[in-house]
Amino acid sequence: MTDVKTQPPATTRVAGAPVRAGRRHRPLWMLIPGALLTLVVIVIPLLTAAYISLTDLDQYTIREWIRSPFAGIGNYTEALTDSPLLHAVAVSAGYAAIVTVITLPIGVAAALATQDKFRGRGLVRSIFLIPYVLPAFVVGTVWRVILQPDGVVDGWLGTDRTLWLNGPKSFWALIIVQTWASWPLIYLLAVSGLQAVDPDVHEAAALDGAGWWAKLWHVIFPYLRGPVSLALVIAFLHNVNNFTLPFVLFGIPAPHDVETLPVLTYVESFQNFRFGLSAAMAVLSLLLVAVPIVAYLRAVRLTTGEES
Amino acid sequence: MTLLPRPLRAVVLVVLLLLVLFPVAYMLFASVSSDLSVAAGHFWPDRFDLGNYGRIWSTTPLGRGLANSIVVAGAVAVLCAFVSLLSAYVLVRFAFRGRLSVLRGLLALQSVPGTLLLLPVFVLFSSTATLLGIQVIGTRWALFLTYLTFALPFSTWVMVTYLRGLPRELDEAARVDGASSWTVLVRIVLPLSRPGLVVAAIFAFLLGWNDVLFASVLTDPQTRTAAVALQVFGSTQEGGAIPVYGQLMAAALICAVPVVALYLIFQRYLLSGLTSGGVK
Repeated sequence: MTDVKTQPPATTRVAGAPVRAGRRHRPLWMLIPGALLTLVVIVIPLLTAAYISLTDLDQYTIREWIRSPFAGIGNYTEALTDSPLLHAVAVSAGYAAIVTVITLPIGVAAALATQDKFRGRGLVRSIFLIPYVLPAFVVGTVWRVILQPDGVVDGWLGTDRTLWLNGPKSFWALIIVQTWASWPLIYLLAVSGLQAVDPDVHEAAALDGAGWWAKLWHVIFPYLRGPVSLALVIAFLHNVNNFTLPFVLFGIPAPHDVETLPVLTYVESFQNFRFGLSAAMAVLSLLLVAVPIVAYLRAVRLTTGEES
Repeated sequence: MTLLPRPLRAVVLVVLLLLVLFPVAYMLFASVSSDLSVAAGHFWPDRFDLGNYGRIWSTTPLGRGLANSIVVAGAVAVLCAFVSLLSAYVLVRFAFRGRLSVLRGLLALQSVPGTLLLLPVFVLFSSTATLLGIQVIGTRWALFLTYLTFALPFSTWVMVTYLRGLPRELDEAARVDGASSWTVLVRIVLPLSRPGLVVAAIFAFLLGWNDVLFASVLTDPQTRTAAVALQVFGSTQEGGAIPVYGQLMAAALICAVPVVALYLIFQRYLLSGLTSGGVK
């Protein structure tokens, strides 16, 4: 990676003295506050989670959690064979994938539509970011009232007491609300991709008499591939890890059809007090996000390469 | 350049604006309507009554929640920006073993699910009471420590991106002149990186303001944040005879205003921070 290159190799320096002084004065201690916090609040808890997942920790043993009975891989086998975990994985992955796929054309279309100058464009761009800016707990609270039985959506559809927040339709309610809240992320990264488009190339294509769709497809979209695929990975991760929206929208215990992985892990800990089982579920949920995280790291490595 | 034919562009813009504004307008309208009208599913308000904005303060402990949120998220924002600057300065200007791993770690840590950390953080914080006699759970310190740490990876990444864009000649000249690293950082780098610091601080603030997961477990009714106060208020509406929808929407709006205001004021900075970091 290029970060090393931002620092010229010591051998290229002219004099020896500044190099030695530079080495001696590297203020590595400045990394300590961040490292210490990360160690105490992230690394040690991660290890603790792994340990708890191997014990039978419950509300009776929580005070003396280090001495709670060892359960081996019992929690893992229970999570995989005799718990709603696999169902929750399916719900989470399914809804995250569907939302990501729906938001892609919306975000790209919005970016294309705001690319040309027109009166009020600044205002439109600000408005487009509102769903993304609003806290998820506010979004959930508002949509909960909108989607209630006999609420405003029911009134417009002319239906009677539809259960959007319970039963099979709740899955689609979650998709609708999360789509509403998350498409601006794709839009933002598509806008940044469009800034790289070379106007000359675009004009040349226009002179060749290419139609607007042909121009988009052959000239514009290749510029968007990088930023938009990055956006897709990030969007998927956000959707999978999203706890607040389902939690506020449906409450807990969540309806079966929207029992996502984060909500299930939460309920298992703080409603059922099966801490060991919950930790095992959380550790397993890392597997679900591991693939997109690795893809993300690879994608970003390329962008840092261009920067320096 | 013209990317879309004008009629198509108009359709896209109008449809998206309507979709975005509908829930926002609904929140505004419902907050001034009667609860009966909201319960009956009317979109347009049946009256214009700002009374909900006054009543809300005695119905729920929203005021205390807002105060807690401002104190915690504000302190997190200031400290996080500074700690991020410290780390980013070293990461950008000095070569050391493991630098690449740290940078990669910054990105990876942003994607660790909060639910994986919630339980162990809760357990570890509770043990400080039994082992050291220090009560952390239920205090604002618990939230402060948690948010500060969770905000660090992204804020540091923002600062790394920002500092890379600063000419290194300025601070290197000062170093050659014999200034200590601390002096260089505080006198030269810090004033130059103000826009980056603002972005880092705002994202840290938003993380604290928006969190429900940790606040719902680590706080007690006295230290509850606005997010949890609103969530509890919303979920207790179902049991009652006539839910006070108007007040609920007024409360939601009040919780949204500081965030929206921050975005509008610092929009330009924030967007560059967002796209350079590539993440929310």
